[in-house]
Order: sequence, then C-alpha cells, then structure tokens
Amino acid sequence: MFRTILVANRGEIAVRIIRTCRDMGIQTVALYDDSDLSSLHVRLADECVRLSSGTLYHDAAALVQIARDCGADAIHPGYGFLAEHDEFARACEEAGIVFIGPSSVALGKVRDKIATLEAVRAAGIAVPRHSPRAYHASEWEALQDAAERLGYPLVLKSYSGGRGHGTRLVREPAQLEDMAPHAHSAAQTAFGDDRLYLEEAFLPARYLEVQLVGDRHGNLVHLGERDGTIQHNHRKVVEESPAPYLTDAQRGDLWRQALTIGRLLGCTGVCTIEFVLDAQGRFSFTEIKARIQVEHPVTEMRTGIDLVRTQIQVAAGEPLGFSQNDVTLRGCAMQVRINAEDPWNHYLPSPGCLRRFRFPGGPGLRVDTYAYSGCDVPVHYDPLLAKVVAWDDTRAGALGRLRRAVADFAISGVQTNLTLIQRIINAPDFVSGTYDSDFGRRPLPGAEVPAEQIRDLAIAAALAYIRRGIDSSGVLPDRAGSGWHRDSRKLPQ
Amino acid sequence: MSKLSITIDGRTFVVETPPLRRITSEITVQVDGQPVNVLALETGSPELLDWLIVDGRPYELFVDPNLRWMRSRFGLHQVEVRDLEATVARPASGDGRIKAPIPGLITRVLVSPGETVELGQPLLVLEAMKMENEIRAPRSGRVAQVHVAPGQSVALGVVVAEVE
Repeated sequence: MFRTILVANRGEIAVRIIRTCRDMGIQTVALYDDSDLSSLHVRLADECVRLSSGTLYHDAAALVQIARDCGADAIHPGYGFLAEHDEFARACEEAGIVFIGPSSVALGKVRDKIATLEAVRAAGIAVPRHSPRAYHASEWEALQDAAERLGYPLVLKSYSGGRGHGTRLVREPAQLEDMAPHAHSAAQTAFGDDRLYLEEAFLPARYLEVQLVGDRHGNLVHLGERDGTIQHNHRKVVEESPAPYLTDAQRGDLWRQALTIGRLLGCTGVCTIEFVLDAQGRFSFTEIKARIQVEHPVTEMRTGIDLVRTQIQVAAGEPLGFSQNDVTLRGCAMQVRINAEDPWNHYLPSPGCLRRFRFPGGPGLRVDTYAYSGCDVPVHYDPLLAKVVAWDDTRAGALGRLRRAVADFAISGVQTNLTLIQRIINAPDFVSGTYDSDFGRRPLPGAEVPAEQIRDLAIAAALAYIRRGIDSSGVLPDRAGSGWHRDSRKLPQ
Repeated sequence: MSKLSITIDGRTFVVETPPLRRITSEITVQVDGQPVNVLALETGSPELLDWLIVDGRPYELFVDPNLRWMRSRFGLHQVEVRDLEATVARPASGDGRIKAPIPGLITRVLVSPGETVELGQPLLVLEAMKMENEIRAPRSGRVAQVHVAPGQSVALGVVVAEVE
C-alpha cells in the first residue's frame, strides 16, 4: 500500500480524500494557494505545499515535481483539474508515481468521445446520433453541414472535458450561428481545446449514470444507478439513487448495459457510465467519467462502500475484495449541492468570509465540506460549498431528512443557493419522483408557512427594522419569485 | 413606541413595539392590537443570523442587510416595512444614504460634511477583493454626514455617508 499520497485537488473533495487516507494510515500532502489557505483540507493533511498560483492546480509538470519533492508514491487527482488528463497520468507513470485512476492509455481512449461512442455502438448499445468528428471554431461550414445532416434539435458538446462547459442545446438551425462561437470559446477557456461535436438531443430526457468499480484482476461490479436530471446553470444540483421513475426491468437493463460498456472500455478503479433516457423509455449511452464524481456519496450511503478507499486499493494493485453478489443496495439516498452563489446576482459565485457556518446533523445524514465558521470562500474556484446527503429506507424518509437538513443549514457571510434547493426539493414532481429535464422550465412553489408563524416573522422583521434603522421595499430574485427556469436548463439555449 | 406596517409574503401586519435595549430582553409587542411576548436576543451585528423567541417559538433568521427579504427555516420571505409614524419616519431607501455595496476597507475619504457634490462625484474609496471601488454620489446635494474614516473596515450594507 502507498505510504504518502499527494492530493492534487482542493476544497471538499480534497477533504474527502484526506479523510479516507487517514482511515487507511496513509500520509497526505495537501496543496493550497493564498486564496484557499483557510480551507479545511489544508488543516487536515499531514503536510501542505503552497502553490505560487492557483493555475498550478492545472499544471501536470509542477504537480509531478511536488510529488517527487515530498516523496509521495501516489497522486489522487480528485475531480476536475487534471483528473482525466491522459498526459498527466503519463507524466506520473514516467516519474514512477502511481496515478490513482485509469492508465494513461485507457484515459487517452475515452478522451476521444466520438471514438468511444463508435466503440460502444459497435458493441450493440444505443448511442445518440452524432457528428462524424469534432470541429474547430475555424471550421464553421463543416460544423454547419454536420448539423444539417444530423437535424435539430441537437446538442453542441466540447470534445475535451465535460461538466457542462461548452454544452449548448440548439433547437433550430437559426440558433446555431449564434451559439457555436460561444460554445467554442467556452470549451477553449475550460479545456484549452475549442473543438465541438454534435449529438442529437432528446427532449425531454432524464440523465442517468451507473457507478462501476473494477480492479486490475478482471473484476467489475456495478453499484447501482444515480439520477442527475435536475440541473441549474448546466450543473447538477440534486442527485439520487435509485432513480425513482425506473421499472425494475429498465433498471436491470441499465446495469447490464453499463457493465458491458465498462468491460469494453477496460474500466478500473471507479468509473461512471452516463446515459440519457428518452421520453419513450429508451436508453442511449453518452459519456464515461473515469474519476470519482461529486455525487459519489449517494452511492456510498446505499452500499456502505468507501469509493475513495476502493479507488486507492485498486490503484495499489489489490483485488476488489467483493463480488456483485456481496453488494447490497439499501434504501434511498439523495444529495444536494450547496453553492456559494448569489440569487440576486444571476447565481454568480458569492465569495467572502463565512461568518457563520453550522451544518445539520442527525441520523441518516452526511455533510461533505471544506468550510467552517471563519473560513474564506475563494473567488477563483468552483462555488461548491457543501454537499448534503440524506439516507433512509424509503424515498419519502430520505426526502424528509434532506428537507430538515437543508432547513437547518445556517450560513451567513456569503450568499447561497439554499433557498433554491429548498424550493426544488419541495416541488410536486420532485416529491413524486416523476421529474424530467423539463423540471427546470417550470416555476417552483414558494415557501408554505403556517399563519401564526407568518405573524411571528412579521415581528422579527419589525425588530430587525428598528435595530437597523432602515426602510425597505421587498424584493426577491426573479428566479426565486417567479420561477428559475430561464437560466436552468440542462442544455442552455 | 414605534408603529410599523410589515408586509411579509403578501400578508400585512401592524406591529407596535417598545424601544429596544441593546441587550437580550423580554418585550411585549402589539400585532394588530394583540399583545405578543417576544424575547429579543442581541447578536451584536445586523449581519449575523438573528434569532428571537416569539410566544415560546424560536426563530433563527438570516436577514438581508437592506431588509428586503429574510430566510427562515421555511425558506425565503419577501419583506416590506413602512413606518406609520410619519413624524418619526426615516427617509426611504433610495435616498441620499450611501451603503457599502461590498464588505471592505475604506482607503480614502474624498469629501467632508457640508461640501457640495455633483451626481456621480466620487465620495470615498472602498477596497475589496484587491480592487479599489469608488463610491459615488447618488445625487447632487450637500454632504450631510460621513460615517467612516480611512483605514476603517465596513460590513456589507453599512451606511458610509449621507448626501442631502
């Protein structure tokens, strides 16, 4: 087993990885730059290394050098940054440091998204119709031709990387000319590669993924599916397992297809196979994520398996130690992402110092975060502040615990999406589990407050007025007042 | 006594309160003529989560510095406050009172009380997020008061100056 792991990430996922390393008796080295010095991951590690600039989180050569200098025998990349860069994996391999993830060869293969789609289709699994190749911004005419041949609606996707960057839904031909340049530049900014490819769009749809774990001895096991249909500003905000709308037959089919794809692509460690489910109930494979995902705790809550530990063990060459029959998928789990975002300012990141940060507790609940009272929320990084995960035997039970947890979360100093999350999880089609990608296009219900409590809140407002000595005229953010649909599609217009 | 009209999520109440002390104290307020016992807890800063106990029911609140909304465990509430005693009414928002748009450090004060200023004229400089931000006059008039000095840190929403 490894002696020292360099955690090449920051924030909540760095905290998450460090905790498992401690459980396993592995030393950790954390990274920070001046803006995230106060993040919890720096305090929890055995050693920490200052980066002269935040851009070094993206710098493969610098990270390999740091790993060498501190004597790390493995690097955990977390998610984002360099988690799926085959060049980084190769640089680690060449330096004799274990990259905790797939081999550089395997990563290089799945990084070619079109070749991956073709390979999966050749194995007899449905994939969306797509363009034959990817196009640079300079190849506008070729892109336009490909779009005409594919037909509308379609999705523009970045060829390198994912996480919604560069992804655009194009409903009709007239929109393509407007959207393509934005998508090219978003992809260029996010991944240093402006190439885009096209995929047929399914409307409405549901977005599903199956968690796989595999070792280097030929064992491959699925750990059930997760739904990630509900998104805001192209990013998932709510995830749950099991997907509430699937029949048992559909579910079994989905798991089988995921395992077939996993075997085909040689998945080791943790891997997620993503699917889209159309309105007729047909699955299509879309992408593979060869890294730990933000929503992995949902699966951990149901299976009791520490996915980061599994990932580390597999990277060290150990066998999985369990088979499909040993895996029990218990009850229901749901996760919400609490982001430091300002509802009054288009949900842009809201950095600052957390004056108060008190997270919920109680049975069946887990909170993953890098934050605490007094901690800074840095300007330049992902606004993800905390993940709240609730578990119970039934979906209604898990939802009840999640609602309580979100209501109890006390955060001041930065703005957050807490009230948006409250409205989402109280929406009738979320409660019934019948939602699809149109969820975000409908207005959300407001808070329901008993009459007596409304009166009490009026008293609170009166006292707040007297203490502050100011008048007010009420204002709520557009999206909280009248729906949040304009900015909240899976695939932005 | 203050007499206020409070509209919250579309429901309006008339709330009369005795003067508040800066320490935790039990008071009786009248809501639409009915007495209600309130334990008002001092938190020291208007930006912190406030909490209070009304008729034995505790409420933890996060209140907008401008009091346009507040968050309770039920969610977000729209708030509107009107002072019903015109003689003691404070000027409405959007007047000449200038509030810190972001928390930061006052680096320079460019005007003094009594000075005449034009609309858009820089009054002070607030440093936040490594950027200097000029705070400008929202209208032409006379500087009535400057509440801050260079080197002073200000919280979001604090009144820094007033222009009449």
